[in-house]
Amino acid sequence: MKKCYLGIDIGSISTKGVIIDYNNNILAKDYLETNGEPIQAVKKLIKSLKEQLPDDYVLKGIGTTGSARKLIGLMVDASIVKNEITAHAIGTLAIHPDVKTILEIGGQDSKIIILRNGIIVDYSMNTLCAAGTGAFLSSQAKRLSIPIEEFGNMALKSKTPVKIAARCTVFAESDLIHKAGLGYSKEDIIAGLCKSIVLNYLNNLGKGKKIEGPIVFQGGVSKNKGVVKYFKEVLKMPIIVDPNGHLMGAMGMAILAKQKETDKVYNLNFHDISFVTKGEECNRCSNHCEILRIYKDDELVDAWGSKCHRV
Amino acid sequence: MKIGIPRSLYFYYYGDLWLRFFDNLNIETKVTPPTNQEILDLGNKLAQDEMCLSMKIYLGHIAYLKDCDYILIPRIDNFGSNNQTCTNFLSTYDIASNIFPNKILNYNIDLEKKQSEYKGFLKLKKDLNKSKKEIKKAYLKAKEQVAITKKQKIKENIKKLNKDGLKILLVSHPYNSYDEMIGKPIIESLEKLNVQVIYSDLFDEEKARIESKKLSKELYFKYNKENIGSIMLSLKKIDGVIFLSSFPCGPDSLVNELVIRKLNLPTLNLIVDDLSSDSGIQTRIESFVDILEAKNE
Repeated sequence: MKKCYLGIDIGSISTKGVIIDYNNNILAKDYLETNGEPIQAVKKLIKSLKEQLPDDYVLKGIGTTGSARKLIGLMVDASIVKNEITAHAIGTLAIHPDVKTILEIGGQDSKIIILRNGIIVDYSMNTLCAAGTGAFLSSQAKRLSIPIEEFGNMALKSKTPVKIAARCTVFAESDLIHKAGLGYSKEDIIAGLCKSIVLNYLNNLGKGKKIEGPIVFQGGVSKNKGVVKYFKEVLKMPIIVDPNGHLMGAMGMAILAKQKETDKVYNLNFHDISFVTKGEECNRCSNHCEILRIYKDDELVDAWGSKCHRV
Repeated sequence: MKIGIPRSLYFYYYGDLWLRFFDNLNIETKVTPPTNQEILDLGNKLAQDEMCLSMKIYLGHIAYLKDCDYILIPRIDNFGSNNQTCTNFLSTYDIASNIFPNKILNYNIDLEKKQSEYKGFLKLKKDLNKSKKEIKKAYLKAKEQVAITKKQKIKENIKKLNKDGLKILLVSHPYNSYDEMIGKPIIESLEKLNVQVIYSDLFDEEKARIESKKLSKELYFKYNKENIGSIMLSLKKIDGVIFLSSFPCGPDSLVNELVIRKLNLPTLNLIVDDLSSDSGIQTRIESFVDILEAKNE
């Protein structure tokens, strides 16, 4: 039997998973929407991965990352649970060992990770606001009634992108309506949106950071050719977009799980496990913490949310 | 007579002194509980939009003490020229005397105008109905006791610099570091990751202020000078610095940026307000610790 390792990245919008062999070759991969139900999404994901996995492999580790990393880590009894920054960096390094800058724009998070000699030296994440992330783009796409998949192609057709205030989703909306009312074409407006995302990102996250090549761009928004084009244009450097770019977080976790390998053997039979969460507002003191209790097969396995560590 | 003491802001500089002083005079005190949601809500209702989170919390603590005869709110302006404290905190005495019905027990520290802490305490004699002699005795005794415990705390803090493992200097004001809702969750998660947390306020003040000049001679914020000094004093022994400040602190935003630009140190800049999400901060702390660990390997 050959060894393999599973990495799962549960984001706000999408859930990604990969299974790799000992040499980091991808044996199975999938990408599906979280739809606000991480537990269901992961069950579906694992089912799909299981079907892709050849029979002669034995699972030796599971790693989870993303916003639901802790919850899913508990569900699948993960060998390692890590934050997105580390996961993305490790995953990307496996494919581009000389990467110096990772630009990542996801559903609600955007990040910049600066690496030197294969080590993260600096990073930043968007703090208060989701302007310029995938969620922002998809809401604008909806407003213009354009499928998000075509957004990039349409942007490429524009020669003169309009200026749009992308600092805030609400202001961008009034700007969009205004510019459309003035008679600008849809292509120019879309291109303007893509460009404003790039400018917003660089002004916000890139502030004070030394962006050096090779630059890898990933996250859902990296699939948008318009945004890629303007990153190239503004940074005046080539941008690498990997076809598996959206899987890098999951890839990183699979690699970390490999490094943490023990004698333990994992299985992929999660479909029948009952995994339920119950939320409750605690009224024992004035903090009114929201405690979330997690039950695996009707047994309380963990609880979090309370300031006093009460379960 | 019962004196109410808010467990916030100045409490983290002078709490020990106050409690011992009143205890030496046999005066009853009531200290508010560690900050909780109720206190924060009380503060939010009273606060103006521009106030920082720490000050909102302070007002909440004062409001919590409505059943006390007196509430202790000093006015601490400066410790000599070029040793200013926070201009916003200065106003708390006036704000409190305008919005709360309680009597305010107040003393003034303004060394530029030759108002020392000792003189300030002596003036409390009228409100406390004690003689000058009694106040002087209680004050000096309390000072002596406080000096011993503070020295001990500093020693323990410095000791951590020589321990094994990852060492992070938490650069913040004590009213943020030790607050139940600001600093405590951050310190807890660092300790869970087996990090030695060293506190910027537990260094020799005088030494720290002198050291801070190596980075900048122009600064006139007393607390920030001490914070910079703590960095300069521990520079060679720490793996990284976490700045923790409450939004929108002016001096912190200036001084933290100064340190980040001038010293080539791994830093994490955490700015919190009452809307901050726990998970965002958690992710930042975890990845910062990951980076430092990777560097050490």
